[in-house]
Amino acid sequence: MEFKLEAHRIVSISLGKIYNSRGQRGGIKLHKNLLVSLVLRSARQVYLSDPCPGLYLAGSPVPPPQPGEPAAGPPAGWGEPPPPAARAAWPEPETPPERPAGPDARRAVDAEPAAPGAGDTLQGGEEPAGGAAAEEEEMETGNVANLISIFGSSFSGLLRKSPAGGREEAEAEESGPEAAEPGQICCDQPVLRDINPWSTAIVAF
Amino acid sequence: MIGLSSSKEFEAEDGLKFTSPDFQVGEPHYSPCLLLNEFAKQPCFLEMIKADIISTVEFNHTGELLATGDKGGRVVIFQREQESKNQVHRRGEYNVYSTFQSHEPEFDYLKSLEIEEKINKIRWLPQQNAAYFLLSTNDKTVKLWKVSERDKRPEGYNLKDEEGRLRDPATITTLRVPVLRPMDLMVEATPRRVFANAHTYHINSISVNSDYETYMSADDLRINLWNFEITNQSFNIVDIKPANMEELTEVITAAEFHPHHCNTFVYSSSKGTIRLCDMRASALCDRHTKFFEEPEDPSNRSFFSEIISSISDVKFSHSGRYIMTRDYLTVKVWDLNMENRPIETYQVHDYLRSKLCSLYENDCIFDKFECVWNGSDSVIMTGSYNNFFRMFDRNTKRDVTLEASRENSKPRAILKPRKVCVGGKRRKDEISVDSLDFSKKILHTAWHPSENIIAVAATNNLYIFQDKVN
Repeated sequence: MEFKLEAHRIVSISLGKIYNSRGQRGGIKLHKNLLVSLVLRSARQVYLSDPCPGLYLAGSPVPPPQPGEPAAGPPAGWGEPPPPAARAAWPEPETPPERPAGPDARRAVDAEPAAPGAGDTLQGGEEPAGGAAAEEEEMETGNVANLISIFGSSFSGLLRKSPAGGREEAEAEESGPEAAEPGQICCDQPVLRDINPWSTAIVAF
Repeated sequence: MIGLSSSKEFEAEDGLKFTSPDFQVGEPHYSPCLLLNEFAKQPCFLEMIKADIISTVEFNHTGELLATGDKGGRVVIFQREQESKNQVHRRGEYNVYSTFQSHEPEFDYLKSLEIEEKINKIRWLPQQNAAYFLLSTNDKTVKLWKVSERDKRPEGYNLKDEEGRLRDPATITTLRVPVLRPMDLMVEATPRRVFANAHTYHINSISVNSDYETYMSADDLRINLWNFEITNQSFNIVDIKPANMEELTEVITAAEFHPHHCNTFVYSSSKGTIRLCDMRASALCDRHTKFFEEPEDPSNRSFFSEIISSISDVKFSHSGRYIMTRDYLTVKVWDLNMENRPIETYQVHDYLRSKLCSLYENDCIFDKFECVWNGSDSVIMTGSYNNFFRMFDRNTKRDVTLEASRENSKPRAILKPRKVCVGGKRRKDEISVDSLDFSKKILHTAWHPSENIIAVAATNNLYIFQDKVN
């Protein structure tokens, strides 16, 4: 149980770091964010592999994590002690291995042939947070309403540096950009697949 | 007491016995130790207090000059005083020689990002004429600076007066030839080349090639080769950016050219590996010639194993036979001929291994410590926390911890070895791990190329320690 708490704590800290890095002067540091995402993934693996009752796990038991891959199964509800609205348990989908880091990555690949240097616009913003992305996207299914409202209120919602709601809000906001790359959960909404909050932000600027 | 002296073998106060050709315990005698105060104390730098965290330190090839770069984009060059018979004790002090603003903060409008002016690295070119040349870089742009002296000025122009104002040609009745007259020495720095727009990611290293015609700059994912004369193009020689950024697993953390072979260079990664590349093999050196990696010790596995194995600095030995790498807890020496493990591993501050979680929380675990060789490659040095820095003698396997602080060092004082108490009873003069000040970190150090003079940057203070006068 201690491992789980420790892992949970580390995940929270890591998410906080990724979130705060967006406001850093000089742009997002790719190296640091990569390391943080690796820690995030390790912590998440430990979290999911440590069997522990009393958490919101739907239906089937969590399968053991494969080495080198994030564990399948959503950490449904791991993020918070009984949170409000947000994270209801949901059935575990087959999550694909190593969910993408999100729109940043894709845009980087797309933009690059177009203009060297103009691509990868969020230098280091391609947070290869495989683990983080997987988490966010799983949270997203319970948070679609939240996300839609965030997107609806334009980028200011995502850029709010000191979320009033505390940790949950930070994670919800964090889940915004990452989760814009929908997993199979949201594959019914192709429009979301194309939403790119980072480019939206740049345009907004 | 310990001092950088050169003759004897002694036992220090706390029982540390030490002997080596380069670094020895000295008797409790007078040993000049030069301490440079923070820039704020020198009148001309009063306005720089806010942005003077030192971010890089580098001696030039002769050791006559010492350059520092800071977070505010400034470069300060110190010059060693010439020895004089009159001032035996002031042998070789370093005084400010030149100061200039190398980089300014910039804003990339396309990406809506600010580009920090902090100087990440300075590298000197070998001296080829009366002027000095150095490369300085921030996150995005490398600049070649020329530092030259002017001690004469022309006087007696025909068309302008002494203040430079143009004279009315009608008033000129005679012609004279301008002459050069001596003037007070002025040191001026001019940017000779600006190498920009070649890096998408943050530049972490620059390295001058032994051919003195080219140099390389490395960012997180790419390494570019430049010719000093050509600023509008560079060759990309390493590119580890995956086609799909989602697959990114490692970044380049440091790179350096071999000191003698102009075709060879190494680069280190965040995964704790080093690759040696030969530019003769192909234009793009994505396939390494040698791959240095030590298998991970499974008993040390933790959440933070990957972070602490990330290499923060890589340096060739002066001989070119070895490379030294620094990761969070250790310094390792590798033989170029043996790829599967280092030949030497030194624990810098292993007592931090149990504190990794806290160090992760307060971001200290991401600190990038540098490491340096002494001139003869027999001693290596690196920094730690609490303004401690460590030296390891490779021959005797002795090590010492020293502290760079004003409280403990007076000018001409001898450095006292420090000790960190790990657990149990703390002896007198030891400091416990929990009392360490993690905001005082020594990331940047430099060693004179041939003498026992070291420069240690402790946040915004520069300390220079040197061997005693004979």
